[in-house]
Amino acid sequence: MTSNQKKTPATGAETQSPEEEFIPRLDVTVAGIHFQNPVLTASGTFGYGQEFAHLIDLNQLGGIVVKGISAEPMPGNPSPRIYETESGMLNAIGLQNVGARKFLEEKLPFLRALRTRCLVNVFGYSTEDYVRCIEILNEGEGIDAYELNISCPNTRCGGMVYGNDPRLTEEVVSASKRVARRPLLVKLSPNVTDITLLARAAENGGADGLTLVNTFVGMAIDVETRAPRVSNVTAGLSGPAIKPVAVRMVYQTYRAVQIPIIGIGGIAKAEDALEYVIAGARAVQVGTANFYDPGASLRIVEGIRDYCRRHRVHFADLIGALRLPDHPAAPATEYAST
Amino acid sequence: MVTDEIVIVTENRPLTGGHFLLSLHAPRQARSTRPGQFAMVRLLGDSSALLRRPMSIYDVRPLHGAAERATRSSADGMTGIKPGAASGNGDRSELIQLLYKVVGRGTQLMSELRPGDEVGLLAPLGHGFFEEEYLEQAKQAGEIWHVAGGIGIAALLLPAKSLAKAGIRQRLFFGGRTKEDLVGVEDFEPFMGEIMLASEDGSRGYRGYVTRPLEKALDSGYGKKLLLMACGPWAMLQATVELAKLHGQPCLVSMENRMGCGLGVCLGCSIRVKGEGHGSYERVCTEGPVFWADHVIWEKESIPKV
Repeated sequence: MTSNQKKTPATGAETQSPEEEFIPRLDVTVAGIHFQNPVLTASGTFGYGQEFAHLIDLNQLGGIVVKGISAEPMPGNPSPRIYETESGMLNAIGLQNVGARKFLEEKLPFLRALRTRCLVNVFGYSTEDYVRCIEILNEGEGIDAYELNISCPNTRCGGMVYGNDPRLTEEVVSASKRVARRPLLVKLSPNVTDITLLARAAENGGADGLTLVNTFVGMAIDVETRAPRVSNVTAGLSGPAIKPVAVRMVYQTYRAVQIPIIGIGGIAKAEDALEYVIAGARAVQVGTANFYDPGASLRIVEGIRDYCRRHRVHFADLIGALRLPDHPAAPATEYAST
Repeated sequence: MVTDEIVIVTENRPLTGGHFLLSLHAPRQARSTRPGQFAMVRLLGDSSALLRRPMSIYDVRPLHGAAERATRSSADGMTGIKPGAASGNGDRSELIQLLYKVVGRGTQLMSELRPGDEVGLLAPLGHGFFEEEYLEQAKQAGEIWHVAGGIGIAALLLPAKSLAKAGIRQRLFFGGRTKEDLVGVEDFEPFMGEIMLASEDGSRGYRGYVTRPLEKALDSGYGKKLLLMACGPWAMLQATVELAKLHGQPCLVSMENRMGCGLGVCLGCSIRVKGEGHGSYERVCTEGPVFWADHVIWEKESIPKV
């Protein structure tokens, strides 16, 4: 932000309060990608962007992470695929997607025309699958980064095999990094005892950044019929219910790795996003809230701007700006291993 | 054109059997609604319902009538609503009416809405009974037969109205568990040549499933060219589709499923269909809710009731 942008017309400028004069910067660089603001829409909750074009101004978003793409199209799981729970929802979609080539042909041209950053979530069943998908996507123009999904809980032998094992995480990340022509983020699973081990493994494999976290494996049962509510039996829990756990994981991981973190889990308003940022996230993703409130992401941008103005800080100054008590009773960084 | 708006409840009329007719002042959305489309209702405030609830758009109407009655019956809340100017095509519709049954937490909360309350309304959504396509088919057919099970009736009033306007003969087969489920029959009367009612307990009309009188009618009307339009529980749709196939009659079905967004992004409502499409699945909210029956794979009951 240059100083002339802060200047107001001479008349009446002196009557303005200091709060009105401060114009905070919201832009941020994550893994070498410059975002106009730190609010992204999460994979699987925003389609390929176009679906929201008539409801919100997509150019005001920091970034769009598109639905997980595999080398080949995927049909997904049988119905029922979703179920609402207290302050959350279970989903087991099964990574239904159009496949990498069709994405490049049919979906990417629209996204490329936006000012908003475009990140592509990538998944596969084997290291070769991930590599092949990235190689196909490398041919497309207008993709700003890849987000490696090694954490989907809903496919038979899917990403989570990688997400639970530090050795496999490092292997798939380094294989992907070797071929990726764009920055590589890795989306981690929260369904682990110590997420910092997986975070370090991804860092060692060459990840440029981390997305924390994917959904928590959950389950709901219809007691009348004694059947699971979702056909896949277990499903991924998202929404406000998971936020405190995910914030804790961002807090722990921020202290364990050097690479930047994008925080995600139950963010529905600016205050939620700011919790993640203060815990250590450089940017955030809005997920489930897009389903019931298409305007949520842009209101979060404005809410963060208001907060920054009120506290007279630029967004980047808030990252990891947690004020810990003098003598924390039990350091959370050691929680998982005790 | 889909919009996401905060709209005001003008009436939430209790009907029999836990059914309600919710009237919402939503002029823009009412005027762009086409037969068979649906809305996603968001309960505001500290609602314990996180996601929106998908609801068929039962009817659209001008502000006088239902709303005026609501105004008279409630002393507060209605002062903000003034009839809007008629749009260019002379459509004076301002209200969207949703006919629903209390089946779970979301509909329970909906039933507690009072005139003057606000709800979030994302509407109109989906490909309804595609006017061009179905009118063409309908004109070729001698008659349209509507088949409704329970709250499935909610998807059929607007199609019935527009078909009547086009001068097409119609018949309604409508079944429920008891007579209390047979709501809205009087709304259909002006548009139907004949109405066949059925209830499982025999409290009104034929005792048993509605597909039985439908079968008899299909048998006796042999040779007549029809178009069936059905909405209801999976088992009823399955039986209807089977009968239509047996008699070589085309059938449109309006499907329902749990939905996360209504916008085609969560992929929560996908159902199995033949051919390629979106994989071998298509989204009820986007490719549907109305499908040709022979496009859907009907092998087993997979759509949850709640």
